Amino acid sequence: MRPLTQGLRSVVVAVVLTAFAAASHAQPDLEGFWTPRLEQTQARSGQALIDELPDAAVLVNDTGAGELAAGDFAGLKLTPAAIEETRNYDFADELTRENTCNAPTAAFFMQAPFPMEVYQSDELVVFKMEYFDLVRVVHLDGRPHPPATAPHSRAGHSIGHWEGDTLVVDTTHLTPGTFMNNGFNHSDGLVMKERFRASADGTTLWLVQTYEDPSVFDGLAARYMAWTRRPGEYVYPYDCDPSYGE
Amino acid sequence: MKLRGLPLALITAAFAAPVGAHHSFAVHFLADRLITVRGTVDDFTFRNPHGVLMLTAKADDGKEQQWKIETNSPNILRRRGWTEISIKSGDVVAVEGYPARDGSNFMRVYRVKYADGRELVGQRPDPSVVSGDD
Repeated sequence: MRPLTQGLRSVVVAVVLTAFAAASHAQPDLEGFWTPRLEQTQARSGQALIDELPDAAVLVNDTGAGELAAGDFAGLKLTPAAIEETRNYDFADELTRENTCNAPTAAFFMQAPFPMEVYQSDELVVFKMEYFDLVRVVHLDGRPHPPATAPHSRAGHSIGHWEGDTLVVDTTHLTPGTFMNNGFNHSDGLVMKERFRASADGTTLWLVQTYEDPSVFDGLAARYMAWTRRPGEYVYPYDCDPSYGE
Repeated sequence: MKLRGLPLALITAAFAAPVGAHHSFAVHFLADRLITVRGTVDDFTFRNPHGVLMLTAKADDGKEQQWKIETNSPNILRRRGWTEISIKSGDVVAVEGYPARDGSNFMRVYRVKYADGRELVGQRPDPSVVSGDD
């Protein structure tokens, strides 16, 4: 084969680099300020994402402005130990100074009715939540989760990748925390998978989370949430004050 | 995929987490009932997770009652124009809100009304909820 001329070689390299650069920036732009959309009693704008859930998934309808009453666990089958824990849960403890500012984990805080800011690069997506001033980092650089013995946290350890227009995130290493705001808590073994997708016009962001936590409940639970982009706005500090508690 | 779980209340509120954490609205308050308490403000704090209005009211028998009345998250209310000085000690107000499930003198604010017609709106009720006096 005749060697490429220097000029032709430069053109080929330029085309390849341009194509690579275009591909690396082809992901949807999720950056900005997003405020929750309350879509519990109306048509869900992100129904397509819900339709992609496995048939066995139980969609928990308590996001944003809704909550489930004590004893309503959305039809999930709890393990005997988890049932016992819910029976022993003392709601009065929630009103104490010690517990007032105990923030939930990413298995609950994403659905809270507060806005968030999203920052994005090729290697990271960062969620700055207004709720309890929480921050999540999603690694897109191909790293694995740390060993199971690594410290757990409210944000957990998140790794993600793009599947077309969808950001797929896998989170482990969560501390035990609220799963439903009614005495039903998850364990430190909960695994959360998320699929984020923005609308074609970039004004709406949808998320479906699924959860598996076999020491607490059987099968697969899921939540749906949606946000509206509001350019120019920003999250406020939360600065939780424990003196609210008694 | 199965859809399970009925939302107990449609509310624009700050909910938080148990595991001995910040409390649920649905568990502690009745979302389908509104009461009104009239009295004088003793103290008002406006910090997350909830603003708190301490109020002295007079019961039907003339005895004074102390009420603890919480707002939804100040962050949500700031975006509606509330500030730390929206309510002041000594203000005479009528507070309409959601009573505690345990019957104590504790409630969540729907709105704070002044004699001159001024009104501060907190957590709006579902349209099906009918107001009632305490």
